[in-house]
Formats: sequence, structure tokens, C-alpha cells
Amino acid sequence: MTSPILTLKDLSIDFPTPGGLVHAVKQLSLEIDPGRRVGFIGESGSGKTTTALAIMRMLAAPGKVASGEIRLGHDKTDVLALSEEDMRKARLGRVSYIPQGAMNSLNPIMRVENQMWDGIVAHEGKTDLAELQRRSDAALESVGLAAHVGRLYPHELSGGMKQRVCIALGVILTPELIIADEPTSALDVVTQKHVMQTLTRVQEDIGCGLILIGHDMGLMAQSVDELAVLKDGELVEHGDTRQIIENPQHPYTQDLISSVPLVGGPSFLSPAVSAPASQKEGPDPLLQFRDVSKRYGDVTALHPMSFALDGDVPQIISIVGQSGSGKSTMGSLMLGFNPPSSGEVLYEGKNLATLGAAQGLEFRKNVQAVFQDPYACFNPFYRVDHALKFPFKRFGLSQGDDHTQQAMEDACEAVGLDPNLILRRYPHQLSGGQRQRLIVARALMLSPKLLIADEPVSMVDASLRATILKNIYDLKDKHGISILYITHDLATAYHVSDYVIVLYQGRIAEAGPPKQVIGDPQHPYTQLLIDSIPWPDVNRPWGTVTGDADSQLKQLQDHPTMFRGVIDGFSLSTAA
Amino acid sequence: MTDTTPTRAEHKLARKMKRFENPWMNPKLLWGAGILIGIIVLGLLGRIFWDPELVFTGSAPLKLPPIGFENLRKQAGIWDFPLGTDGAGRDLLALIIIGAPNSLFVGLLASCVGMGLGIFLGFSAGFIGGRTDDFIRVISDVMITIPPLLILVVFQAAYGDVSLTMMALLIAAFVWQSPTRLIRAQVLSMRESGYVQMARLSGASTMHIMFKEMLPNLVPYLFGSFIANVTTSIVTAVGLEVLGLGPQRIPTLGRTIYEAINSGALIQNLWWWWGIPTLLLAVMFIGLLLINLGLDEVSNPRLRKLS
Repeated sequence: MTSPILTLKDLSIDFPTPGGLVHAVKQLSLEIDPGRRVGFIGESGSGKTTTALAIMRMLAAPGKVASGEIRLGHDKTDVLALSEEDMRKARLGRVSYIPQGAMNSLNPIMRVENQMWDGIVAHEGKTDLAELQRRSDAALESVGLAAHVGRLYPHELSGGMKQRVCIALGVILTPELIIADEPTSALDVVTQKHVMQTLTRVQEDIGCGLILIGHDMGLMAQSVDELAVLKDGELVEHGDTRQIIENPQHPYTQDLISSVPLVGGPSFLSPAVSAPASQKEGPDPLLQFRDVSKRYGDVTALHPMSFALDGDVPQIISIVGQSGSGKSTMGSLMLGFNPPSSGEVLYEGKNLATLGAAQGLEFRKNVQAVFQDPYACFNPFYRVDHALKFPFKRFGLSQGDDHTQQAMEDACEAVGLDPNLILRRYPHQLSGGQRQRLIVARALMLSPKLLIADEPVSMVDASLRATILKNIYDLKDKHGISILYITHDLATAYHVSDYVIVLYQGRIAEAGPPKQVIGDPQHPYTQLLIDSIPWPDVNRPWGTVTGDADSQLKQLQDHPTMFRGVIDGFSLSTAA
Repeated sequence: MTDTTPTRAEHKLARKMKRFENPWMNPKLLWGAGILIGIIVLGLLGRIFWDPELVFTGSAPLKLPPIGFENLRKQAGIWDFPLGTDGAGRDLLALIIIGAPNSLFVGLLASCVGMGLGIFLGFSAGFIGGRTDDFIRVISDVMITIPPLLILVVFQAAYGDVSLTMMALLIAAFVWQSPTRLIRAQVLSMRESGYVQMARLSGASTMHIMFKEMLPNLVPYLFGSFIANVTTSIVTAVGLEVLGLGPQRIPTLGRTIYEAINSGALIQNLWWWWGIPTLLLAVMFIGLLLINLGLDEVSNPRLRKLS
């Protein structure tokens, strides 16, 4: 029996705030054995990062450890009793921390290897240059990067490479424990898979403990041995990953697992029997792209493409792709926020670029959007009802203040919010999920013909995603609104959409009904994407690291577009 | 819940929390505003309770010291002229009562006009972009490098006597650059923000976006910039007056100092003549500085401390 590498005993952490003392972590007890990977999973505010920072003794200013013990290593060092100097030595040397968004934690004006040398020199004193060079090269090699990468500056590296450099930096002193705080949250799934596999391999080589902090049950299932589920600062469930995934005890854990949508799994939606008719008038397609392309300087964000969305029957068209694939560019072209570099965007047969003032207002009323970031969508100066009231009046829908109020309350109730609690609040008093639902309510109030939903759930906690997607789906199902759903998440696209377009670097890789495109992908890029999605299934092999993610993706660039069947009411083509 | 009565430390913490919640009530801001209001009140009450006619030459004995002091001729201060009189027989208290609000007025007017110009140009540059932006940016960048005093000295020397308002307007021509740059930068970043996009989606007009969505969020910055401009304007105005280039017939703090220097007050040990106006200017600047620091805390929550 080996002794644990980290012991947390009755750990409580408090934050004094204007509203009183907040207990961020309550009576947390946990042991981590050497060589084990433990996942801390929970929603934002559940205390997972706070716990990790307490182990490093790096809690943000007013927060403090109220009671409990933190003991590190075989010699049971009491972390809380260490002097500042000893603690400094323990950081990186014994516990290393890979922060959230580690890509921004590299110094932009220093070469990568110099930053690694700094770490060694700070802990071991003056060291011979050749020795430093040897060790930084070895560390880079251990994360699958060539030694010459060390002589580059951070801006010359891709996101995935930066993250791997941060891992190399974290293991350079062979610590006893690595804490990785959402190390892949800013990366796309393909890179995420490579980085996670690099991290677990390096951890196995060193034989240290690993704490992986995250909110994605799928990612946890495919990479850790033990799971610790946190909710509101309390440890609600802890145990073997397989055991928790297959037989979750706590209802919260069950929620977390079931909130991950699976490709081919049961749908979380319940479609209405008879879809209402669309509100469209006239013979012209609702929205049409005619050889539209977009260039920013030398970069082509979107290669020429044409499509026509008839809108006779409400449909959900999904546009799937990684960051930089051109999907958000498509969204802003459709909203008329950006003019296309070539071609025309037509709304009911009229070119967006030549709309008059009255027609422009009509277009705005009928084409609405839900954006990615619910935190930015409300003006902090006004109460949240401003965002609902203003467009309602502006588009001439209001028949007096009582009518507006009634419409707002109805819309709130339709998305499952209590209007009395929500409408008179300021944005900062609401959670991200509540705000995003309010934005959906706003779209509902205006009853547009087309809604462009740009990553509507990517910044919302996992347990709320299904609810919000259901709200959006209801817009189509109950209110007859056609939707363009822009996302990086293939699993949700599979469930909600009637047609899927997979974009890769501004080109259409594969397009067709979701059962074909996502259920049975033929294009190597789609296949790669689907293979890379982590599922909450311990038995599913996630594959092993095969070469470099970047070079793997580069080969796909020239693969021809694959069309996988057609549906009524939507036609798509790329320019010859 | 425990039912113990809160200790003093808890009371203190609660008070700090309250301050954290409502940043407008921070002590720096209150003290600064108090000082400035004090000066204005001095000007208003002074006109009622003191004789403003005493600012005219020869209305009082010459070179009397303040109460409790003696001048070189062994004359003691008298209560008729509590802060003493200057070399031309003017009462210093009356000079301050008339002069201090005048100096503040020049600063406020110049700053108001400058801010107005700055808001207009900053919004135009940030919102319209393109050529307009280039033009406004280049002009303001060039203007910011020109020392205003240099131009004003030349101008006033050539123009002769000016009124207070005229001087304020001239100074305003040199304080619009920094608000322009500040607002332009904020507008550029806000233009891409979610709520502005949301407003565009709601069919909002450009005017609505500028003044209803963006401007309210700029208020703390605008206040800060305004106060900084008041300070600059007063410094510039006093600088001109001390050089004898301000208004000739209207008493201001700067002009009083100019006359003191001109009449050899330093050699004759008439310290109250130049000392009292200088002290009052210093108090005024401290007040403005405190307001500025207080506003910093309002617009930047990271400066607010719980401890």
C-alpha cells in the first residue's frame, strides 16, 4: 500500500463578499495516490479551481483557508504551514499548475526555452547552459515537440503547441503532482484529444499524480482514473471513473452524465407532432447566398458558396466547424453585419447591400440572432428588460406598455423563466444560462422568420445546455421559425438539425442530412472530428497519439467536398 | 444562526462592504467634492456677507498684514481686513471671494467646451471610421504635442485684454484632444461588444446606439477626463494670469499673484499677498485630485479595496 501523494482533510475555503461570507469549499476530504489521475468535475462556481489554487497556496486576495489540512507528498508536508520561501520552492518543484487558458500564460517576448530555464534556475540555482539546454530539449521531446520549438517565441506556435509547451514547463522539474485546470477549454476537439493524450502520457512517464479540472463528463471519462464530483463547494461523489459513469449515485452526477449529448444516442428533444406552417410570404427563398465569399486581406475566410433556404417549412440547418473554419463569418454575412467580398446575400429575393431604410428594418425584424456570449449581450447600464422591450417597440409590435409587459412575461415563461424574478434585474445579477434564455425569449417575442444561433450554448454550463437547446428547438417546432445553428458541437447538431454543413477552413467538407453526415461520416475531416469527441463511455477507445494534430489537419485541406444527399427546401453548392 | 450582537470589527467590515457596493460614496470623492463646493460657497456667501467693492484699488489702507501678524512697519492686522491688504490698497479677502470662483469658472467652462468637442469628435472617429477617423486622429495627435501655453502666450500678447469667457474658450481649444482619444478608443472596443450588436439587431439607429447604449457606459471615464481637464485648464489659466496675460480688470487668483510679484511683494516680505492665493490654488488642486482618484475607483473596481 503506497501512501497518498496528496491528502485534503476537511478543507474549507471562505471568501468574504459584500453579500456576506461565501463558503467556496466546504469540508472537502480527498486522497490522491501516486500515479493516479483524478478528475474534479463540476459547474462554474463549484469550487474546483479554488481547491486547486489552495493546494498551490495561490488563492485570490480575500479568499482564505478557513479550516482543514492540505498534506503533500510522502513526507506529509503541511502545505499551509510552509514558509513563503519553502512554498515558492514547492511550486513547480513539487506541485505544478497548468492554468486555464495556459496559452496566454507564456511570456510573449521570451523564447520558449528561456522560460523553461527560468523555472529550473529559480529552483536549483545557477545551472550550466548545456545542462539547461539538454533538459529543456528533453522536456519538449516528452510532449512530442521538436527541440527547435524551444527557440521560437510563443506567437509562432499554434494553440495546441502552446498548451503542450505549458505541459513541458509543468513537468520539467518532475513534480509529485500536476494540477491541470481545464487545459483544453480553448482548443478544438481535434487538438484537445492530442493535448490530453500528451498530458496523460507524460504523467504516466513521471508517475506523478494528476488533478484534471473540467466540466466535460466525456473528457473525464476518457482520461482519468478517479472522479470527484463537486457541487456548490461540496464533494457529492467520489470514486472510480468506471463505477461513477456506469452507476452514478448522486442525482447531480446523473444529470452531468445525461447532459452530454451522444451521436446516435437517444434524443433529448420531443418533436411536436405537427409542425406549424412557416410565416413566410412570397415565392423567393427566405435567405440565399449567391457565390458568396469573404476575404480579410490575404486570408480567405469563406470560399465561394451558394445556398438557398426556402423557408416554406421551418428547418434547422447546422453549420459545424472548428474555430477559424468560417462559420461565424457566415453568420455575420447573413445578418448583414459584414458585406461579402464577392457575390450576393439575398433576403426574400432582395440584396442585403441595397436595402432601403424601411426594408432594412423589415429585414432586421425578420432575421434575428442569438450570440455566443450571454455575458456581453446585455448593456450593463440597463435592467435586462431593456433588451426585450426596445426591439419590440422599435419594430412596431407593441400596442401600448401593458401589451409589451404581457408579451415579455409570456416570452419569459415560454423559456422557463419566472418573469417577476428576472425582468427587473440588472444583467450582472443573472447567471449565464438565465441570460441566454432571455435572449431566446427576446427572439421569441419578435417572432422572426429566421434565427441565426451562433454557438448559443458553448459558454453555458453543461447541465443547462440541453434546456436552452430545447428552447431554441421549440422556436422551430412550436413557432415556425427557421434556424441556422452555428456550432462546433457535432453531437447537438446531430440531434437538432435537418441538414448539416461541415466547414473546414472556409470550404464545405461534407454536407447532407445529419444521419448520413454525422452518423456515417465519409469525409476524413468529419471522421477525424467525430473520433476526437470525448464520450462519457469508459470502454470507448479514444485512440492514441498519431503524429501531430496540425500536420494531420493540413493533409485534409484539398480533399474534395462530399455531398451526402439532399432535403427539400434547402439547396447547396460550391462555386465551380 | 447565532444571535450574538455584531462586534465592532463586524460593523467596520459591513461599512467597507457597503462602500464596495456603492463606489460613489467613497471618501476621496466626498472630500474632493466638499473642498470644491466649499470654494464655491465661499464665493457666494462672501458676496453677501463681505463687501465686494473692496477689490478696487485704494479702497483700503496699503499693505496691512492678516490678523495676528505685523508688517515691516509694525502695523498689526485689523478686523476690517482680516486677511490683510495688498500694495494697491485692495482687501485680500475680497480678492479671494471674487477671484477663486473666477478661476474655477474658467476651468469648468474650458473643460465643458473641451469635453463637448471631445465627445463629438471621439464618437465620430470611432463610429464613422475610415477617412474621418484618420483625419480626427491625426489632428488630435498633432495638437497633443503642441504646448498650449506657448500658443496662448503669443495669442494673448497680440490680442491684448481678454474676458474670462474668451480665455476659457481659448483654453478649450487645447483640452479636447485627450477626451477625443479616450472616447474613440472606448467606442472602437464597444462597437464590437455584444450589446451593441444586439442593439443593431434590434434595428436601433446610430444615434440610439451612440447615446443610449454607449454613452451611459462611458460616464465614469467622461467624469474622470472632465476633472483632469478642469485641472489642466486652471493651471493654464493661472499660468497666463501670472505672466500678466489674463484679463486685466477682473480679479483672479493668478492676477493677484502677478501683481504681488510685480510690486516686489517677495522683497518687502508681504507674504500674504502672494501666499494666500497660492494656498487657495493648492487646496483647489488637492480637491480636484481627490475627485479624480475617487472617480478612478468608480470606473475601475479593481482599485476598490476590502481591507
